[in-house]
Amino acid sequence: MKTIYICTDTVTGIFSGIYDAWKAEGEEDTCGIALRGALEQQLFCDYVETVETEHKAVVVETMIKKNLGRPAYWDIYHAALAADAGKGDAILGTMLAARRIRDSRKIMEHLSHPAVEKVFELSRTVGGEAHAFKGFLRFRELVNGVLFAEITPKNQVLTCLAPHFADRLPQENWMIYDNAHKTFVVHEAGKKWVLGLNEQLDIDAVHNISDREREYARLWKGFFHTISIESRESRSRQLQHLPLRFQKNMVEFNH
Amino acid sequence: MRIQETMSMYDKLNILSDAAKYDVACTSSGTSRSGDGTGMGSCEQTGICHSFGADGRCISLLKILFTNECIYDCKYCINRRNNDVPRTSFTPEEVCTLTMEFYRRNYIEGLFLSSGILKSPDYTMELIYATLFKLRKECNFQGYIHVKAIPGANQELVRRVGFLADRMSVNLELPTAESLKLLAPHKTRKNILAPMRLVQNGMAENKYEIQAYRNAPRFVPAGQSTQMIIGATPESDYQIMQVAESLYQKFDLKRVFYSAFIHVNEDATLPARTDEGPPLLREHRLYQADWLLRYYQFEAAELLSEEHPNFNVLLDPKCNWALKHLEQFPVEVNRADYKMLLRVPGIGYKSAGRIVKARRLGTLGFQDLKKIGVVLKRALYFITCSGRMMYPTKIEEDYITRNLLDTKEKLPDGITGMTYRQLSLFDDMRFGSAGAVSLR
Repeated sequence: MKTIYICTDTVTGIFSGIYDAWKAEGEEDTCGIALRGALEQQLFCDYVETVETEHKAVVVETMIKKNLGRPAYWDIYHAALAADAGKGDAILGTMLAARRIRDSRKIMEHLSHPAVEKVFELSRTVGGEAHAFKGFLRFRELVNGVLFAEITPKNQVLTCLAPHFADRLPQENWMIYDNAHKTFVVHEAGKKWVLGLNEQLDIDAVHNISDREREYARLWKGFFHTISIESRESRSRQLQHLPLRFQKNMVEFNH
Repeated sequence: MRIQETMSMYDKLNILSDAAKYDVACTSSGTSRSGDGTGMGSCEQTGICHSFGADGRCISLLKILFTNECIYDCKYCINRRNNDVPRTSFTPEEVCTLTMEFYRRNYIEGLFLSSGILKSPDYTMELIYATLFKLRKECNFQGYIHVKAIPGANQELVRRVGFLADRMSVNLELPTAESLKLLAPHKTRKNILAPMRLVQNGMAENKYEIQAYRNAPRFVPAGQSTQMIIGATPESDYQIMQVAESLYQKFDLKRVFYSAFIHVNEDATLPARTDEGPPLLREHRLYQADWLLRYYQFEAAELLSEEHPNFNVLLDPKCNWALKHLEQFPVEVNRADYKMLLRVPGIGYKSAGRIVKARRLGTLGFQDLKKIGVVLKRALYFITCSGRMMYPTKIEEDYITRNLLDTKEKLPDGITGMTYRQLSLFDDMRFGSAGAVSLR
């Protein structure tokens, strides 16, 4: 009989599920992790609702960092942010596989193992999208001086972006809104950033921008057009690097 | 046209970015730096692309000239003094404001500042220094700065600018001294190489300073690069690769950029204008070969020779090399050393690294290679897994060439020059040099 731990699609949720599975001393064929809402019921399975706590998540995080090393933790953390229903199983499978090889810290090199390979793949996808948004994200200055950005990512990349912008713009008040997952991060000048979940956006407030802001957007659009070399123009090459899904939130593509 | 003092910011930016766009380098990579918490900006080792223009080129830096006035008369350059184009200059304040305001909106990763020569090389370099000083010290900007060293400028000035910038570059302009003399009569090879050497030495000294004093200021931490124009003069690919190779070896350059020649001026010394557009495929092949030099432990003399001085237009340089050295293939993936893996078409340096690590934990099969990122449709002719090839194939140049050509190389979109053509009895697909000549 297989026991499946059901959790929410958050890092805390997934890590809590893994905590419970680990406590029950499950193996690949006796336990699994499933996400609430993305559940496909199977026969001969026990479904258990995970009680999610910060404590469980921290314990799992510490355990992974200690036994598999920081680089492997970052792969696992990124995989936990991916838009993929099987990510919980892949992470658990990776952790179980790590127990069986001689040096657990080399687990991410064990690419011929399907779970490890999946975590690696997911981590690469999420890392790639986060990296893309570090460049493609656009702030606009609202009338109250706050820099506001809206993104529509596939994966939950906000927590990958926040440290980057906090380091880069420490003396600014800024906010990034993830329209796909309805989450946001807020950063107040000189302080640490905070993550907010399940919030609705004040549409009027975030479109209230000053003339100065419009002028800089115009300068940027002008620059964007002149910097391209006419005799090398290629729309398809542009799309190849900068797919349409990014363009809709970028000021230079809004006419 | 005379400088118009009252020109709007929009028009200035328009003119001075238009004049800077032919410069190729727009990378923001090579240095990693956290913000210090008081100013604005940071740098990432890999660099960050912030947008892609209509030509599909990455936009990472605010790429502008300080001024497009110039006392020189380089035949290929839009800003040559004989051209009648509107001229203007920024002030250091304007450059700083633009950079800071663009940066905080995350439009850009930093500043790329080049310039025409206003009055004299020294005068121009001083203006650039004043701008960077203001940006770094007054605006407290910690983002990426790429700056051009002006050939002929005072050494001390170049050195001082180097402590404010992340990357410096001196344009080689053209591959050989003769071409330079012909197309850029006011520039000399010596004047170009001198600041390049200066930056190289500065970086070497700085390395010791940083070892001795951890907080010593950094000199050009992201290294220096250069660029040359391809197709304006008759050099062969072999000559160009040799120049690039010696720049990497003797001047410690981070990158050499190749810029397909674009007609902006009419001049008797320039090649005749054709309908084919810039030689983008040739540029692409040079970049591929450049990667082979930097990441794949190839030497220029292995890829080309006096007899075959140009790249095959139909095959990338690595495939071409492999086909000429079939006696070294197939290689056994589970045993071959890293250096040999790098030479297999379809295996990149990242996949090669992953293979070396993964095979310690088990024997690799073709499915594993696929997951690792190996392009099997190219690699399958050159590798075995546990002694078996993926399919029964012949190790024969003609056979493999035909099959590789069938798989269609994935060229960057927009590159033309390798179009479908009428088959004729006398076509010989194996000889690249013939094809390369027809490209010009």
